[in-house]
Amino acid sequence: MPRLLGALFAAALALAACGEPDPQDTEGTELTGEPEAGTAGASGAEQPSTTAADAVYDRGDTDLLEIVQERGRLVCGVSGTRVIFSETQPDGTVVGVDADFCRVVAAAMLGDADSVEFVSLTTAERFAALQSGHIDVLFRSTTWTQSRDTEVGLDFGPVIYYDGQQLMARSSDGFSASSQVADIAGAVVCALAGTTTEQNVSDAADAAGIHITLTTLEDFDVIIENFITGACDVTTADGSALAGRKAKQQPDDQEWVIFPAIPISKEPLAPVYPQNQSRFGDVVNWAVYATIIADEKGITSDNVAEMVAGPPDAEARRLLGGEGELQTAMGLAPDAFYRAILQVGNYGEILARHLEPAGLTRGSINAGWSDGGLIYAPPAR
Amino acid sequence: MTVPMGDPAAPVVDPAEAWAGEQEPARKPEEPSLSAGEWLSKNLFSSAVNSVLTGVFTLLVLLAVRGLLNFTFSEERTWRAVKTNMRFLFTHAYPQDQYIRIWVCVGAIAVLSGLSVGLLARTGAGISMKKLSMNLMGMGGVIGLGILLREPSAVVDSEGLVVHREAAAVGDSFVDWLDTNALAVLGVLVLANVALAVWFHLQGTYLRDGPEPRLAHGVLVLASVGVLIVQQYATGEIARESFVDAMADRAWWWLGAVVLAGSGAALWFGLGDSRRRNTFVPAMHVFFAAAGIMVLSAWAYPWGHYAFLEGEFISEPGRTVAMTTKLPWTVMWALLVGTFLLGRALSTAPAARRLRVPLNLLWVMAPFVLYWAVLRDPDLDWDHVLSTDIPMAVFFAVLGGLVVWYLTHPRIGEAGRIMAVVLVGVAVLNWVAAYFGWYPMLQKARISFLLLAVVALLAHNFAGDRSQRLRLVVAWVAIMAVFHWLVTLVNSPSTVETPTDALIGGFGITLIVAVFTLLAAFPLGVLLALARTSKLPIFRVLSTAYIEVFRGVPLITLLFFFTLIFNLFLPSNMSLTDIAGATIGFALFSAAYLAENVRGGLQAVRQGQYEASDAVGLTTVQRTLFVVLPQALRVSIPPLVGQVIATFKETSLLAVVGIFDFLRIADKVISAQSEFLGVKREGLLFASFIYWIFAYNMSKHSQRLEKRLGVGER
Repeated sequence: MPRLLGALFAAALALAACGEPDPQDTEGTELTGEPEAGTAGASGAEQPSTTAADAVYDRGDTDLLEIVQERGRLVCGVSGTRVIFSETQPDGTVVGVDADFCRVVAAAMLGDADSVEFVSLTTAERFAALQSGHIDVLFRSTTWTQSRDTEVGLDFGPVIYYDGQQLMARSSDGFSASSQVADIAGAVVCALAGTTTEQNVSDAADAAGIHITLTTLEDFDVIIENFITGACDVTTADGSALAGRKAKQQPDDQEWVIFPAIPISKEPLAPVYPQNQSRFGDVVNWAVYATIIADEKGITSDNVAEMVAGPPDAEARRLLGGEGELQTAMGLAPDAFYRAILQVGNYGEILARHLEPAGLTRGSINAGWSDGGLIYAPPAR
Repeated sequence: MTVPMGDPAAPVVDPAEAWAGEQEPARKPEEPSLSAGEWLSKNLFSSAVNSVLTGVFTLLVLLAVRGLLNFTFSEERTWRAVKTNMRFLFTHAYPQDQYIRIWVCVGAIAVLSGLSVGLLARTGAGISMKKLSMNLMGMGGVIGLGILLREPSAVVDSEGLVVHREAAAVGDSFVDWLDTNALAVLGVLVLANVALAVWFHLQGTYLRDGPEPRLAHGVLVLASVGVLIVQQYATGEIARESFVDAMADRAWWWLGAVVLAGSGAALWFGLGDSRRRNTFVPAMHVFFAAAGIMVLSAWAYPWGHYAFLEGEFISEPGRTVAMTTKLPWTVMWALLVGTFLLGRALSTAPAARRLRVPLNLLWVMAPFVLYWAVLRDPDLDWDHVLSTDIPMAVFFAVLGGLVVWYLTHPRIGEAGRIMAVVLVGVAVLNWVAAYFGWYPMLQKARISFLLLAVVALLAHNFAGDRSQRLRLVVAWVAIMAVFHWLVTLVNSPSTVETPTDALIGGFGITLIVAVFTLLAAFPLGVLLALARTSKLPIFRVLSTAYIEVFRGVPLITLLFFFTLIFNLFLPSNMSLTDIAGATIGFALFSAAYLAENVRGGLQAVRQGQYEASDAVGLTTVQRTLFVVLPQALRVSIPPLVGQVIATFKETSLLAVVGIFDFLRIADKVISAQSEFLGVKREGLLFASFIYWIFAYNMSKHSQRLEKRLGVGER
């Protein structure tokens, strides 16, 4: 008897392994394999499957866009633990800039901003998750670099946020917003261990010809605590992270300043998708561009319905589906971008929604190109 | 097992009598009680060295306790972060409108636990009233000491900000002097203790067992406790409450301490010395009473705030986790107690013994059923179920039933072997055919066939009379029913929708992964251990290779492999989710360790047992199942439980592969919510506490099991 039970466990476990629940009704090949000849009525495609959503597609000869549209759900990799970009709320929902762009892409691709499934990833596993087909697209505040673009076998989409590494210090130590890297000579600088921030700050110190004491810690929360108690004179991270911390954690009796005005590194944060998936990549790119164009033209989630009725110009009409060929040629519904903007919002709205509660603004670098910023989209025509 | 322990169903007239009725007939007479003073002399101040150690370690323990209390109750702690995220911590994004499913699962476990304990567990003598009253008084005392030790809260102004004192206002009182010189004063006290000890030693007081050492040392120890308490009321930079205000603030704690200590004292003095020692109350009753009081308290006091509505944090005192869960918890408590009483009532029936196997089977099946049928709510495709699933299950049940019936005939002989080999051949052929695509077949049909073949191979070991064979047929039919039912459930999509890929997270996933890991790792570990001690070199080599490889590879590597890389090797129509992959990784890893633990047990089985089994003509399988393994597993309980606890805690590595397990939410996710940015210690402390409760209970349970099986005594 025990042996029989053991065999049952083993078999059930094997099945359990393949059949992790999937809340959505999707099509695909079912776990139980090919249908028997006698039961032709229940073919694999008709039987709802639990495994299809997680199917590993053979990249290269299958079209990711088609797979996602058949599945009816976009699997989007995010951090889930990064304030402003993707934080997980007590009810389990994911909110933030990255999460909203996932929803923009889902709305454009599938017509519904809510048909997105968030997968929370650590920095260590994010690229492997994309390569193994575990996720469709990665919006995880990932810096676009040459090596990642060329060596890792991934493609990058348009930059959604221009970040840059800066330094933060206490004004009581004589620092101000106009301080320069040279001013931190002799200071104890705390940075996250094993990240590029650590490398960047020592490079910057070398370039400025100064000596600093670099302390690396594993956890940014711990760094901030050391900064508050004075164990660290200077801390360094991406500007958005520092500003968020300053807004939330600056004690009443301290005044923190962030400098230098020109960051010591360039951190263009961009979406990532698998290599050689042009159709899928185009949709991601143009979904982001659509929010930027809408931002330029003042089309918001509130007024987009009126804008469709009376578009301000021909480009807006084309973008919102007045002439649908541009979208249908991409494999989307004519009103794909209209839905994206209606359901999520334009670029400026998305940023404001998450930056303002943290006490941040878009800043000059992430302003539209007509305002002197870097946010620029190719024309929709 | 079936020795009746009194009759709990009868109306209880005198509690003391009822308790007395539950005691075991033969138990060791207890030592007569020592008076408090004698106890102190004997245990704490029996010699110079003991006295010094008592003083020093009391001081160290109290310092640690004081630190922990101050850390926990400090005004810097944002416990709101844990309270707001309570539901998140335990079930992640499980939809609130489906929460009834979680309660059904908890309820099912409560019912199973109640029945098992009521029906099967030997309650033993239970807890003596003396021990109970001492525990109650001890708890009251510890809480009282904690209230005194904790530092006074900071004074806050109307905006909730801590009030700082002017530097000039910092007093020069005795308390401030004590605070500044606390270390020196404590040092002097310790030195005085040492000096006293030496003096008493030279006087020979310890040998005479006189009362002087305990009085003198006791005064010094109490003085150092006093220093630890008084020191906290020093007026530093932050304005703090006065002693009276602090104690008034802790009035509820005092009430709890007084009630506990008071009820303990009432028991102690209400019963005479001999009744105290000879009256017993079943441990389960004490547990139920304690749990009942905790559940009841949720009706009176709103523990924990749950205040997250429409994406906004709202401090709404009316809506708390406790308020929304007090009714379910009360139902759970009632289920537990009710089924326990039912089990007790049934346990005297002669048939109670026969319920053991079905109950244990229910325990094994519970994780599968609760996960796939209750938590998931599968959306069954009835056409497919009626046209394919049920006929196939019936087909295999009937076919297998006939095969089992035929092959377990005692005189089956060579015909049985030939049939079994043919079945194995067909089963293997099915898989080969699948690879080449010769004929289509549902995967579960292939697995059923393989199961049947394995059963056919082993059947002759279980040959017996008609009733034995009938039981085996019934077992096969039951296995087929459960197996096909589960496969159908697993293949049906769930209707429970969550915003992320996981159905459930937080402590839920910690428990689920731990349970499934153990369910898979245990049989695998036993098989590996048997293979490693086998006489067949091929088994031995394979098993050794497996164990060495999986013990040699770091667990994190395995987890990364099974969550990220393994999918690349699977055929394009199959894939593993993170959680399934992680569970496989954990199971393969734990199995290697479990195998070594079991091998230790196997080596403890004496050679004579093997020889005796051979002498009575048992087959290898029979010898292993009925003679060797029961003895080996009994011996390996302590290391096995150690491995179980380790596996339970190792599930926190799920965080590394991005799964929202309990520790990850407590550590990384809450501290990244903009509302609670950087709030981390509270979550970690809370998580440690919950982990500890579970690990401690497992350890306690294994101690009881060891005692029952007599490990280390026989």
